[in-house]
Amino acid sequence: MAVAAGGAPPPSSEVPLLYRRGVRRLLTQGIYVALTAVVIGYVYTSLDLREFGFGFLSEPAAFKVGNQWLTDVDGVTNSRITMYLVGVWSSLRAVLVAIALSTVIGVLIGVARLSSNWLVAQMAMLYVEIFRNTPLLVQVVLVYTILLIGAPLIENVVNVGDFFFISNRGMAMPWPVPDSGFWGTPDWFVGVWVAALLAIGFVAQRVRADRQGRERETGQPHYPNRWALGVFAVGAVISFFALGAPVSIDEPVIVGTHYIEGMVMEPEFTALVAGLTLYTSAFIAEIVRGGIQALPRGQTEAANAVGLSGYQRLTLVILPQALRQIIPSVTNQYLNINKNSSLAYAVLYDDLFRVANIVQNKAGHALEMFFVIIVTYMLISFAISVVMNFFNARVTAQRI
Amino acid sequence: MVDMPAQNPQRIVLPPHRERARRPRIVRLREWARRNLFNSRAGTFLTIITAAILALIIYGVVYFVFVDANWRVITENRWLLFAGGYPMDQEWRLWFSVMFVFLLIGLTYGTWASLGRRDHLFIVLASGFAILLLAHGGAAIWSTIWYLIAVGLLYAGYAITIRMPREAGPGRTLQQRSVAGLLIAALPIVLIVLLAFGGARPRELEGFVLNLVLAPVGIVGGLIIAIPLALGRASRMRAISWTCTTYIEVVRGAPLLGWLFVALFILDDVIGGELIVRAMVVLAVFTAAYMAEYIRGALQALPHGQSEAAHAVGLNQFQSMQLIVMPQALRISIPPMVGQAISIWKDTTLVTVILPLRELKGNADSAIAQFEFTPDRIEAYVFVAVVFWVVAFIMSRISQRVEGSLGIGER
Repeated sequence: MAVAAGGAPPPSSEVPLLYRRGVRRLLTQGIYVALTAVVIGYVYTSLDLREFGFGFLSEPAAFKVGNQWLTDVDGVTNSRITMYLVGVWSSLRAVLVAIALSTVIGVLIGVARLSSNWLVAQMAMLYVEIFRNTPLLVQVVLVYTILLIGAPLIENVVNVGDFFFISNRGMAMPWPVPDSGFWGTPDWFVGVWVAALLAIGFVAQRVRADRQGRERETGQPHYPNRWALGVFAVGAVISFFALGAPVSIDEPVIVGTHYIEGMVMEPEFTALVAGLTLYTSAFIAEIVRGGIQALPRGQTEAANAVGLSGYQRLTLVILPQALRQIIPSVTNQYLNINKNSSLAYAVLYDDLFRVANIVQNKAGHALEMFFVIIVTYMLISFAISVVMNFFNARVTAQRI
Repeated sequence: MVDMPAQNPQRIVLPPHRERARRPRIVRLREWARRNLFNSRAGTFLTIITAAILALIIYGVVYFVFVDANWRVITENRWLLFAGGYPMDQEWRLWFSVMFVFLLIGLTYGTWASLGRRDHLFIVLASGFAILLLAHGGAAIWSTIWYLIAVGLLYAGYAITIRMPREAGPGRTLQQRSVAGLLIAALPIVLIVLLAFGGARPRELEGFVLNLVLAPVGIVGGLIIAIPLALGRASRMRAISWTCTTYIEVVRGAPLLGWLFVALFILDDVIGGELIVRAMVVLAVFTAAYMAEYIRGALQALPHGQSEAAHAVGLNQFQSMQLIVMPQALRISIPPMVGQAISIWKDTTLVTVILPLRELKGNADSAIAQFEFTPDRIEAYVFVAVVFWVVAFIMSRISQRVEGSLGIGER
């Protein structure tokens, strides 16, 4: 037996049938599959599947979905699936903002933890220890409570020059709204301008690559990033005016106890994003710190030796190398942000999970609704992974 | 600075770092400040800004804690927050569990680590916090005494085990095995004490007690499911590895809130039982998927030579797993596992969000639902955050100590 496990397989006639590796594997898997089938069969029979189906999603929703931005979908006439998609958009918004903010804050705190300034390092450590070790739910709810109690009532709203308001119904600020311009409808203008911006971005990218190439060849500075930014900015402004500058500024107004017009950042959204950001940035800070500490000390010393400033050392030498280790872990944190955004439920922000719950309360079909939820989360996770894998491939393309 | 020894020719000149240590404290302090706080103009600027922010934060916290806050919402609702619906006449069961766990912590520290100055400081501070809480309202004296006895047990257990010889030998093995056995048996023992023989019914577990029961059940149950799951995923048999991979990816694909939604609406038909039991099952199943990934990572990190060597000395597949591969893999995976345990500890708050189960945060909601305490919402949530923070901090601290003494990260 010991020989059969280690050395070359002996002629099959010598080994009893039951001891042959192939036969054993087949047998094990057979038993395994049978057991799994029994379990699945039990679950299947115990579920009530007589009314299984997704038809209920296309019936009228008959409930309101709040916290909408850029959309104003009415739940009375629209179907449940439409309202669910509105919830998905709300989730995506919170997730994207939280990802951006927690990355910036996380990197800052992570670098600060390694600062040579003792006080700064200690403060960063305090930040990490506090926000990493308290439940996200409590953080979100606490921020929400502070926003509701701490901010003034809308009757005594904080009014900054009649265009910026703070109250416990959120922050209201002016927001640009597209007009028709030369292009018939606002939607046409937005479409054409976005297409123009994409084209300009492509040109700027080419300019940057060209300048980078020349910089590498000659060793003289050609400022690729500044040029690319400049080209993009000038192009954007020119195309904007070429299309007739069809934008009006929408200023918020208070009517009764509500804001109308403008952009309103509701306390629910702020609380969710703030909670997600505080919590995740503490984790990202630790990841960034670990990534930097994993680099050999010689990198810092070499950067000092060639006379780079502290900022240059960080952005040109340390972070680009640390990114190799940082990106996979940070991707995990982004996926966590996506899943944790379901905590919107606790502050009554109408994200996909909450809308799904409302639908389930109205129509039943818990199993189908859960299926929809999990598929949505997986799709968003998949999108995040694809983008991050693209970045990862770019970062690791250069071998060191 | 260089010519300092020359002023006193009799003095023996030491190496520079010893020489620096010899100078008066105030000089060293100034030197330290110059190096760590005011090393450049930008550094000085940064220090001043940070100090200003720090001062503002400290002022805000002190003002809130001592002036603005009304902590009666906590002290008046102490029983509600900690035990909730647990039958009051069975209070001794709670204290017995607390003492047992404190004793275990003492034994664990004494056996595998030692208490440093910081640990003592932390125990004193945490005890101060606990006593501040206990020394108000009804039964203040008795609960304070019970708590002090628990801390005494911690130190007693520590004092006994720390004096035992650490060298390998039959005595040491016996000590390690018995403490480990107690640790493994701790959860069933506590559950029996809390629930069996005329104790509470499961649904009467509430408040902080519920957190303290849910998290270990999730962690231990998760670990038990995770080990076969990780092995299954790493298996070369396709049927097994595919199903295990599917399980792991599907569970990790949806948020815990989603799975608790399943516990509420779907599991009812499948396994039935009390809601709290279903929540435990979901927590274990959820944790298992994450833990399995950490164990799989550790299995992959293990050099292949280990299992080959096991086969070479004649161990079969099962023996090599049990004696060679798993012990090392589990040891490697301790740090991420502790991270996962802390994460589950924090996630026990989520049962309040959709399930009608009232853990600490849920009972804080009940506390501020009383008319008298509606203005004190911030106090209640800050308190909940602090309590969770303390336990999470203890968990991470113990794991750091145990990791250090087990030599994790070294080969």
